[in-house]
Amino acid sequence: MSSREAILSRIRKARGVAAEPTGAEQARIEAHLRARPISTRPSLEWNPLERFREQCVRMSSTVDGVATMSEVPAAVARYLSSAKLPMQAVAWPGIAALDWSASGVAVEGRPAGGDDLVGITGVHLAIAETGTLMFLSSPTTYAATSLLPETHIAVVPVGVIVPAMEEAWDRTRRETGDLPRAVNFVSGPSRTADIEGQLQIGAHGPFRVHVIVVGA
Amino acid sequence: MISQHTDSTGTYASVHFKSRAHDKLNDAKVQRAMRNFNLAAARSRAVAEVDNFEDLRTAAAAIRDRSLADLDVWLERFEREATRRGTKVHWAETHDDINRIVIEIAKAASVRKVIKSKSMVSEESHLNAALEGAGMQVVETDLGEYIIQLAGETPSHIIAPAIHKTRDDVADLFHEHHKTPRKQSISELTMEARKFLREHFLSADMGISGSNFLIAETGSTFIVTNEGNGRMTTTMPRVHVAITGIEKVVPTLEDVSALMRVLARSATGQSISNYISVNTGPKQPGDADGPEEMHVIIVDAGRSQLIGSDMQEALRCIRCGACMNHCPVYQNIGGHAYGWVYPGPIGSVLTPNYIGLQNALDLPNAATLCNQCGVVCPVRIPLPDLMRKLREKQVDRGLRPKSERFALKMWAWAAARPGIYSLFTRIAARVGKSMGGSGGLIHKLPGGGAGWTQDRDMPAPGGKTFRELYANRPSKGGGGR
Amino acid sequence: MSLERSVERPLRQPRTGRLRSIMLTPYRGTLPEMKVGLFVTCLVDLMRPRIGFAALELLESAGCEVIVPGTQTCCGQPGYNSGDRAAAQALARKVLREFDACDYVVVPSGSCSGMIKAHYPELLADDPADKAALDRLTGKTYELTDFLVNVVKLDKVPGRFSGTVTYHDSCSGLREMGVKRQPRELLAKVPGLQLKEMTTPEYCCGFGGTFSVKFGDISARIAERKCEDIAGTGADAVVLGDLGCMLNIQGRLRRLGNTTTRVLHVAEVLAGVKDD
Repeated sequence: MSSREAILSRIRKARGVAAEPTGAEQARIEAHLRARPISTRPSLEWNPLERFREQCVRMSSTVDGVATMSEVPAAVARYLSSAKLPMQAVAWPGIAALDWSASGVAVEGRPAGGDDLVGITGVHLAIAETGTLMFLSSPTTYAATSLLPETHIAVVPVGVIVPAMEEAWDRTRRETGDLPRAVNFVSGPSRTADIEGQLQIGAHGPFRVHVIVVGA
Repeated sequence: MISQHTDSTGTYASVHFKSRAHDKLNDAKVQRAMRNFNLAAARSRAVAEVDNFEDLRTAAAAIRDRSLADLDVWLERFEREATRRGTKVHWAETHDDINRIVIEIAKAASVRKVIKSKSMVSEESHLNAALEGAGMQVVETDLGEYIIQLAGETPSHIIAPAIHKTRDDVADLFHEHHKTPRKQSISELTMEARKFLREHFLSADMGISGSNFLIAETGSTFIVTNEGNGRMTTTMPRVHVAITGIEKVVPTLEDVSALMRVLARSATGQSISNYISVNTGPKQPGDADGPEEMHVIIVDAGRSQLIGSDMQEALRCIRCGACMNHCPVYQNIGGHAYGWVYPGPIGSVLTPNYIGLQNALDLPNAATLCNQCGVVCPVRIPLPDLMRKLREKQVDRGLRPKSERFALKMWAWAAARPGIYSLFTRIAARVGKSMGGSGGLIHKLPGGGAGWTQDRDMPAPGGKTFRELYANRPSKGGGGR
Repeated sequence: MSLERSVERPLRQPRTGRLRSIMLTPYRGTLPEMKVGLFVTCLVDLMRPRIGFAALELLESAGCEVIVPGTQTCCGQPGYNSGDRAAAQALARKVLREFDACDYVVVPSGSCSGMIKAHYPELLADDPADKAALDRLTGKTYELTDFLVNVVKLDKVPGRFSGTVTYHDSCSGLREMGVKRQPRELLAKVPGLQLKEMTTPEYCCGFGGTFSVKFGDISARIAERKCEDIAGTGADAVVLGDLGCMLNIQGRLRRLGNTTTRVLHVAEVLAGVKDD
């Protein structure tokens, strides 16, 4: 008997059920997978945009807001210069395609390497409840851009803000079907408290997460 | 295999809990480090921020129970979906199977360097030693795990593995292993680790992680970290292997969303952890990053025997660590005293179940049953009840010392006979009073009571029992006595 | 028709062998008669009888008719927590019989009342014969301060205390019986008493029954944290509701050289502290 069969049959024996799953068991599982009920949640009675901004700050991100995508380069430049950060960045192609000429920021549309200091991304969705950014992997939404650079700037159109993680899954299923290879949720900069329980920002991922909300 | 969990005769370290705990109580460094540790306050603030945390706990427990009720069917569904998406699913019956499977995967992919995100299951199987034995370099990347790897130790907490170390310990370790000038501050130490580990992330061939949950609906792994090392481990190397227990399967993405709400709050007092990686299969055509191979190893190693038993509730555990963060015993002795992988209340339940009741006799007894663990557990595991059941099993299997069994029998016999009991207590009250002397404090009790008076006095009884005094009390008003 | 039951209602006399049987105190009040069984607990019986008398006085001052079944010994918790289920079951059945005739069972201990209310149902679950008596017992069992506040709604307490006290929440009282607010409400009625809270009043003192002797060093160390917290309040006395915690905290305080902080049961303080 393979390990697989041994384990599965041990579980079935321990459960005190027949050797093979019955129709009733399969039906129970299918019913749950079809219904995908949303469990008990805390009250979500806040304005999603306000909540998102507030929770971003709570998770130690910084937040800015602009009216249109065309204002994003200037907002990035403003942030980088006020934080005394380098005026050069790598970005997702969609972001790199904005008009950066007047901003003074040199933006390259390529995946981040270990030495890139600033990464600019969009997001797939954003979650108001916890101030969370959601990324889906794809040929043009490089995972490393939000991970390797010391500073991560995320551009969040107001229309992608959903109340909670459940709504994010629901919308993702409807819009993309199967999940992509990687769905990453990011809530603020990287941190650790592994030495003496003291909080340190910037363990392996970015030290800074700056969120630019567009269209608020 | 000889390891930090067993000695050369194969005796488990958990057998020596009592003396290990005693050593930790007298280890000034451990005591200092444990005093720094307070995740309980953070949890309590985070819990207060939602209006219905108790309901969230109840709902989370129900989600876990749903998984366990049809466990094999959910696992098969997970396997089917994961396989459809190109993940290779492996099944490990034993700890040796885990190591064998990982080594096979590594050899087939010509792996030389392995980076690891936290995996407690791999601590069970001593995977690092096995990989090193097979000629590979293994680097732990969770900062706490990295520290104890340098120190040659095991984790003392499931989410804060190096909590028993002070910054001075870490400074010495980094100075010695990195050959860099000795750093003073925690922030300098963290930056130094970042720099060294970044090189490993970029050069490793294989990333090994745990998986907090397996999603049956989508065939995905679900990895939660704050440092970002989970993301690194699942993004940078060309092979990703996730190792997790059979009990970690969860039906849907909605279900795992609910578990996440209680997990982060219970673990570190956050509303959500900084990074969650949901990985479904290897890199797709055209993707700029991600591993070329993805493997999931589903581990039994003792878990299936809890299914359907009076211990099944322990399998709800989502490894937040809240039980240890709130345990008065754990907080005073730290995790190493327990001697195996999982310390604190959940360890005192899992360890005897996974390595044998007789190999961890003290663990279920080393608890005040204060139930602080039970009331904070995000999935409502009745930890004190489970510890008590393990105590019953020890009695049933004759595993308790003779003297203890005799004392219990004597007590039970007398307590069921009020006349004899009354006589015993009258004698005890008088003997106790005379032992207490003028100060009314007994400084040294004989026999089994010596454990009490080693570090404490015993306030002496007054000389007469309530029963005696009540019988002789002057009647009040009129009427009967 | 009177809502009050007749004072003369005959009492069932448990079989008590040669021991003194039920002992009654006179009914004095105008409240509806409540026949309250006092479960003294084995530790109070042996170690601190004055706590039992304080409880008695409080119940009587509230107008209760108090019965103290003379055959009572122990609730069975030491056996239960040591894994000796059979011994615990025998004692649980004994308690069931002894208090069956009472309207209420009041216990000056969160731990022993918790044993009855929270654990007897599981302990006696295999025996359906006990079910009815068990339901009656668990439904009518109260920790002392909970009973005084929520059942008899005690208004005035006899005791006086001059000084500051801090209150230690015993684990079983707090987590099994919901005792938190009740002792504090009652202490607030004691003239001269000031309450000053510890940083972590709900933190276990480290007693844990047989744990305290099996793992004496760990137990004493946990107690030390409690002692530090108590000292931090500067209180004259630490007040609590369980004798196990009381012996543990007092024993550790004295060994640490603290001879001045008094360790008192809440019943003593409410009834008026007397020395033995």
